[in-house]
Amino acid sequence: MLVNKLSGGALHAVFAPVGNLARVDAVVRRLADAIDLGLLADGEQLPGESELSARLGVSTVTLREALMALRQQGLVTTRRGRGGGSFVTVPDQPPAARLGHRLADWSTEELRDLGDHWAAISGTAARLAAERTEPGDLAALLRSLDEFEAAEDLAARGRIYGRFHVELAAAAQSARLTKEEIRIQAEIGALICLALGEDDGLASVARLQRALIRAVRDGDAEQAGSLAERRVRDAMARLIELRLADSGQGLSGPDPPGRP
Amino acid sequence: MALTTSVDVADVVDRVRDTLEDVFEAVARVRERTVAIAAVRAAGRPLTTVDLAGLRPLLHDRLRRHRDLISGIGFIAEPGLLGDAPAWLEWWQTSRDGELRPLLLDLDPHTSAYSDYTHWDWFALPRETGQRACAGPYVDYLCSDEYSLTLSVPVHHGDRFLGVAAADVYLRHFEAAVIPLLRVLPGPACLVNARGRVAASTDARHLAGSLLKRPDAADEVRRWPCGDIPLVLAQMRSA
Repeated sequence: MLVNKLSGGALHAVFAPVGNLARVDAVVRRLADAIDLGLLADGEQLPGESELSARLGVSTVTLREALMALRQQGLVTTRRGRGGGSFVTVPDQPPAARLGHRLADWSTEELRDLGDHWAAISGTAARLAAERTEPGDLAALLRSLDEFEAAEDLAARGRIYGRFHVELAAAAQSARLTKEEIRIQAEIGALICLALGEDDGLASVARLQRALIRAVRDGDAEQAGSLAERRVRDAMARLIELRLADSGQGLSGPDPPGRP
Repeated sequence: MALTTSVDVADVVDRVRDTLEDVFEAVARVRERTVAIAAVRAAGRPLTTVDLAGLRPLLHDRLRRHRDLISGIGFIAEPGLLGDAPAWLEWWQTSRDGELRPLLLDLDPHTSAYSDYTHWDWFALPRETGQRACAGPYVDYLCSDEYSLTLSVPVHHGDRFLGVAAADVYLRHFEAAVIPLLRVLPGPACLVNARGRVAASTDARHLAGSLLKRPDAADEVRRWPCGDIPLVLAQMRSA
């Protein structure tokens, strides 16, 4: 099939410029998350080095360092010669374990700051959506809520959770907020699946989303805004707790300094 | 003192209508060409993405010809129609650098949360009603990330629904086309879609994207239909 998984709509975000993070880390995170989320499939060829570095907005040198790190993590294989290039390798490890590894790349301060930014975007989007919404706008959100509850695996649930945020921003009638929501999701990526947790956590996330849709429907901007902010804060708080539990719980990460 | 007669307003709504009828005309050509392609295949094997590539010269021509207004155009297949892909958009866009590019979406439901496009108004409305539709304004996060109008028509071969032919008009381009028309009127005015959402406005109190429901609109004077286009022109009281 001719479908190119590397372009179009929300997926532009995978290869959009990585911004002002430490660049090598940012490229590694972006691509590793895309692999964990299934945006890049096993065996898929990445664009050539010059194209990829141009699209990500990093130098070729930075890209090479990032590809080297990805090779060390076993997420990318590079073949030389004719028909060569860099190819995605999806490891056999279960997604949760790989995500735990990914979480170790973030400091708690970075997670807290990302949460602040995300809450600002989501909260504003929800307030505006409550002011600007009409019944037709709610159909997409209600469908996403149903699919979220019915999702069979972590990755699917994370994708639909992300789509709910994007749909909410679109209901605000703001292309900028929508793009920003997509960008933030590309940055946090597959980690959000960890934040959603299991059973109890899921039920409370779904309850919150339902209440949020009601507030938007009723045009209650303040309620919608604070629910949307709470939703983001809850998710980020879970991530930060997981990150702090990291060394004790055996989520694999870099060894702390001074440990043999 | 300037007096508006209903003739002046009628002229403005006619010109707004003509602006979008030009877009619908381009969409109608895409429909005709798609039906012609389907007719050739009707007796034999099912349509394929390769057959739909035959639309490209027409799509490219229309994007170039309507550069000021149309930024994306194509045919979106009913899922299950094609023999070689479960779902497909033969969709071309003018990118910011002016190049014409195909839209390549991940339509695999196992990897993309955005693979099912049948819920979007531009697809669902023509399919359900059999009529042409003017969807939006809405944030098109599937194709362009732009605030847009999408004009679409159902495509049938005989009784069979094949999909929709459609064109995207980014709201900033729509505004550039219609605001000069609205400014001819002595007072502020809004173009409002069937759901009450403002698509273009010369009234700073009611900007594009906001809702202008009739009961709320104490400052509204009169509504005028724009022919068969599902927009109305709302004349507003001066601030």
